[in-house]
Amino acid sequence: MTELTLLPYEDIVNRMHVVEVEGVSKSFGGKDIIRDISFSVEKGEIFGLLGPNGAGKTTLIRMLLDIIRPDSGKIRVFGASLDPAGKDRIGYLPEERGLYRKTKLVDMLVYLAQLKNVSGKQAHENAESLLRSLGLYEHRGKKVEELSKGMQQKIQFLSSIIHYPDLVILDEPFSGLDPLSTKTVKERIIEYRNSGKTVILSTHMMEQAQTLCDRILVVDRGRSVLYGSVEGIRKERGKNSLLVEFAGYGEGLDSGHCSKYGPEYGTGIGTVYGEGVNAGANSGVNAGGNLEADALSLLRGISGVRIIVEHEEEHKKFVEIFPEEGVSTQAILEELVSRVEVLRFEQSLPSLNEIFIETVEANASE
Amino acid sequence: MNKFSGKAFTVARHEFLKTVKRKEFLFMTFIFPVFLAGITLVPALLAGMTPSEDQSAGYVDSTGSFDFPVEVTNGGFAVGPFGEKSSTIEFVRYEDSPEASKALREGEISSYIVIPEDFLETGVIELYVSEKGVPVPRADLAADLSDIVVTSLLQDEVDEAVLRRVKDPVNIKLFNIGESGEADEQGIADILGDLGLPFLTAVLLFFSIFSASGYLLRGVSEEKENRVIEVLLSSATPTELLTGKVLGLGGVGLLQIMVWISAVAFGASYALPLNLDPFLLFLAVVYFLFGYLFFASLMAAVGAMTSSLQESQQVAGVFTFAAAAPLVFIQLLLTKPDSPLAVFLSLFPITSPVAMLVRIGSTDVPFYQIAASLFILMLSIQGVIIFSSRLFRAYLLMYGKRPALREVLRNMREG
Repeated sequence: MTELTLLPYEDIVNRMHVVEVEGVSKSFGGKDIIRDISFSVEKGEIFGLLGPNGAGKTTLIRMLLDIIRPDSGKIRVFGASLDPAGKDRIGYLPEERGLYRKTKLVDMLVYLAQLKNVSGKQAHENAESLLRSLGLYEHRGKKVEELSKGMQQKIQFLSSIIHYPDLVILDEPFSGLDPLSTKTVKERIIEYRNSGKTVILSTHMMEQAQTLCDRILVVDRGRSVLYGSVEGIRKERGKNSLLVEFAGYGEGLDSGHCSKYGPEYGTGIGTVYGEGVNAGANSGVNAGGNLEADALSLLRGISGVRIIVEHEEEHKKFVEIFPEEGVSTQAILEELVSRVEVLRFEQSLPSLNEIFIETVEANASE
Repeated sequence: MNKFSGKAFTVARHEFLKTVKRKEFLFMTFIFPVFLAGITLVPALLAGMTPSEDQSAGYVDSTGSFDFPVEVTNGGFAVGPFGEKSSTIEFVRYEDSPEASKALREGEISSYIVIPEDFLETGVIELYVSEKGVPVPRADLAADLSDIVVTSLLQDEVDEAVLRRVKDPVNIKLFNIGESGEADEQGIADILGDLGLPFLTAVLLFFSIFSASGYLLRGVSEEKENRVIEVLLSSATPTELLTGKVLGLGGVGLLQIMVWISAVAFGASYALPLNLDPFLLFLAVVYFLFGYLFFASLMAAVGAMTSSLQESQQVAGVFTFAAAAPLVFIQLLLTKPDSPLAVFLSLFPITSPVAMLVRIGSTDVPFYQIAASLFILMLSIQGVIIFSSRLFRAYLLMYGKRPALREVLRNMREG
């Protein structure tokens, strides 16, 4: 789908870049907020700027927007340092956001568009068509304080794209949004990217980032700790295991769960080849348990398998197979197919959330 | 200042239209002059319309030598075309105190006086009034009684002219000697014109400067409080925002002061025989503009540094108080407009707009002083704008604790 993992810097430079950040640092009152961060954002992608609260994401964004200046390093937006014309091509939804409470909706949107050098007439047109598309047209004459919170949030998002910018920077766009508004905003973001525009999305909600972002930069305590495409990072961080679900295994079982991947992995070894030795299986001891042992025993003797771990997620049981070094996925699949009826077979990829927590925790223990 | 940009104009237009539509603005601009006129004219009107208060006062003359008239009428004093208010005191004779006291209790009279037997030696007259009810004003009564006493004592001793002079010894008539040397009788309108008008102009100037820069303070604080400011900063530079706001709200203030001046001019031509000096009006506008620029820039910095409207208004109050100093020293400025303190106040940038206008109204201020005060004010504006836009940039996005003074000074230097 997307390109693989980290590209060498030279390759990145040769591409079409909307934003390039090179060795940027910033400190406030002697405290380093951003330390030597470099990254670039390509045209037509959704770029995730991730990190825990207080990592420096907002500072980074404000520097992109030339609201504050870096102490050192270079920032290029649309190929040059940001000029007034460049500013007009950017839309920004700040994390700490608000609206003029006593101003009419249309008037406010028109003002914000005019500040981006959109003509008054064009601004009116944009405002009306965007309000229509979000189903808010009938409220155009109302004051912001008369709107529900959900509507206000949609308006805020709308105000960041009122001038159809080439680059939209959204700082925590989902914070405080109800599920319905989240869905609307998410659809808009994807729609926007698909129309060839670039989106920078800062968030600490990893599920959203994983589904939305093409590439990400993870910042922690002012440092860049992870950078690349979401797919690439997940593959790289994967433990190279296979998730398998097959007929006759895990049916009729509603309790008992085995270890998952991650830190608990070690304790999971106890279940390997076992017959309900671990606590999870014990609690579910019945006829099913024996059946299961039988089903599991079918997998024995597959060559090239190092370890098999049982898992249960959302009342679904499956096994995770860790092949030995150099054994192909294909060979294992063939073996499996000859022994059981395979219902699911996929390469296990850690979620962005897991990678994020792991990375940040590792960074913290340094 | 930086070059004027299209975005500053957009900001200016937005701020102007937004503020002009505000209820507070409409109230201050149109209702305030009416209100001001009201508090000066209504009492006079009321006084003109209420019938004169006639009262009855009893008297007990223990010496038996005084000749009380049946009643005396006091001419009142009022400005303008509303006529004079007069009151009549009717005198009723009683034989002794208990009789008068009884009449007082029964409400026949509102007060009574007793002239003791030793009046000639002591000069003491006793006045008895009811706890309830409105007695005859003491000042009026004292004047009336003096006349009665003088008349009774001297009537047969001296001739009529001497009697009149004893009752009313001196009348001062005021003349102004102009530059050409001719004497010019000064009437009540001139006194008002010389003292009242500078005062009125000063008050209006003070109000318009502070209402306009107050809108700026409010605007900045609100944008900071409702977090719109960050979106604005992503579209325009702090300087563009600052310039736009100052210009837009300056336009509002100018509109306001024009309405007020027209109201004063109209009111003056109608109610008071005053001549408004066009030069004074011109200077009022110039000082408004300069004073406004100075305070607006200060207010912008205050608004940017504080994190809530309430907090910003507290800090701004310090400057407002300093600027109100000329109004505190108004008497000095009016009576001794050439004293060193008055000159200082009219040169010091915080107080100069109001103080200088008062001085110009009350004396012939040397031209070099006007020029110097404008020059100092211009320099200060330049300085304040530079520092303000630095602070504006540094603090607009900072929330939470109020910055320490040392930090503020550092940011002023570094920008």
